[in-house]
Amino acid sequence: MKRLFSTVDGLLRGEYTSPEQLREGRVGVDLRLLIGAGLVLGATYGVFMGLYAALRPANSSLAQLLATTAKVPLLFLATLAVTLPSLYVFSALAGSRLRFVETLRLLLVGIVVDMALLASFGPVTGFFTLSTESYPFMIVLNVVCFTVGGLAGLIVIYRALGVVVGGEEKQREPIPDDSSFRVPPPSKARGIFLAWAMIYGAVGAQMGWILRPFIGAPDLPFTLFRERQSNFFEAFFATLRQLFT
Amino acid sequence: MLQPVDALLRCEGRHRIGGMDIPWGQLLVMIGAGGFVYGIVMGSYAGRPLQALYSGIKVPLFLGVSTMICLPSFYVICALLGLRSDFSAAFRGILAAQATLTLCLASLAPITEVIYLSIDHYQLATLINGLQFALATIGGQWTLARHYYPLIQANPRHRLAKSTWLVVYIFVAIQMAWVLRPFIGAPSLTPSFFREDALSNAYVVVTQTILEVLGLPAR
Repeated sequence: MKRLFSTVDGLLRGEYTSPEQLREGRVGVDLRLLIGAGLVLGATYGVFMGLYAALRPANSSLAQLLATTAKVPLLFLATLAVTLPSLYVFSALAGSRLRFVETLRLLLVGIVVDMALLASFGPVTGFFTLSTESYPFMIVLNVVCFTVGGLAGLIVIYRALGVVVGGEEKQREPIPDDSSFRVPPPSKARGIFLAWAMIYGAVGAQMGWILRPFIGAPDLPFTLFRERQSNFFEAFFATLRQLFT
Repeated sequence: MLQPVDALLRCEGRHRIGGMDIPWGQLLVMIGAGGFVYGIVMGSYAGRPLQALYSGIKVPLFLGVSTMICLPSFYVICALLGLRSDFSAAFRGILAAQATLTLCLASLAPITEVIYLSIDHYQLATLINGLQFALATIGGQWTLARHYYPLIQANPRHRLAKSTWLVVYIFVAIQMAWVLRPFIGAPSLTPSFFREDALSNAYVVVTQTILEVLGLPAR
């Protein structure tokens, strides 16, 4: 567990995605550790998220808490499985130095960063769970937390792509000491990233919709999955309307 | 006894800018004592010792728990921005700012008490306390800015980390204040640690109140 946390700490500090390593076409972190960290961090946020169902006065559901704890890491790993092939193919076409396993590692790095941020928001979600009964508010709060975490993960991938998809001229440029923060991603990398980020975001949102319920509506009994209906975006805007009217 | 207080306010001695150690003991005592003093005065509006005691406990609790809830996300954000090595210095600044805030509150307590003695209007008492907290917050921000100045000079990304801290902290603190109310204690209600409807949501209530005022349909 200690090794897991030191890996997460290293990931947050960009130790495994330094421009030097990326230019050599490697992401120097163990795949099993990345998956382990993703599972632990995702499950941590899942506990806080599922607390709403476990603590609600009517229809309290411990089963929902357990299901959400499992579903949050599952959501990310399933989204990764769906979107990895497209990122690999298009980044390879654009001349990325990363092979398939390294691309997988890079995406997992982004996901672990996302989940680390999400898990760190856990106490905030837990606090609002304990102090509010408003179901629409909890939905909006969780969507905001997931969005912020997702953006952080995407930024990590974006910076890395800026290095690995760099052309020969970029390769010769001196590398700044303080990580890839100031390396301007070439337009090719930017284009791939934007397209892939949109796909990743849309697939992630819809995957979340397929795997729902996560929070557990107070007036509905526990089910592992809900029936297929509507889509994430339509439901989210309906919730916003519900919250403010 | 006033020496640590003076050192904190002037950023000298153990509280100097850029110091290596966090003077935990002094800062926690100042947060606890300063918050307790203002809380006692804040809760004394209706002249009920029990409400004053509750508020004395709740003011430091409010600041301390809000900080603890926001700390994990602040750590991760610092690490993500490449500021992990400065986290200790940033956290030192945050603690110093919280201590300054409570000292400012404690220094404003006599003014609040005098105003209490001269008014008989609960809403006005609420407004006065809101102003006192706003003033004390400015004091706290002053200290935070002084601690952050060398950090931002060394790395401008600290500005973003500080802004993110403030956004998350304010978001949590508003709800925390709502949950922990009453702090003043309406004279028509019996003294209590929590209100009966403590577990509601400040943001939802405020939004619905605004909609009602605007004559728009609310749930």
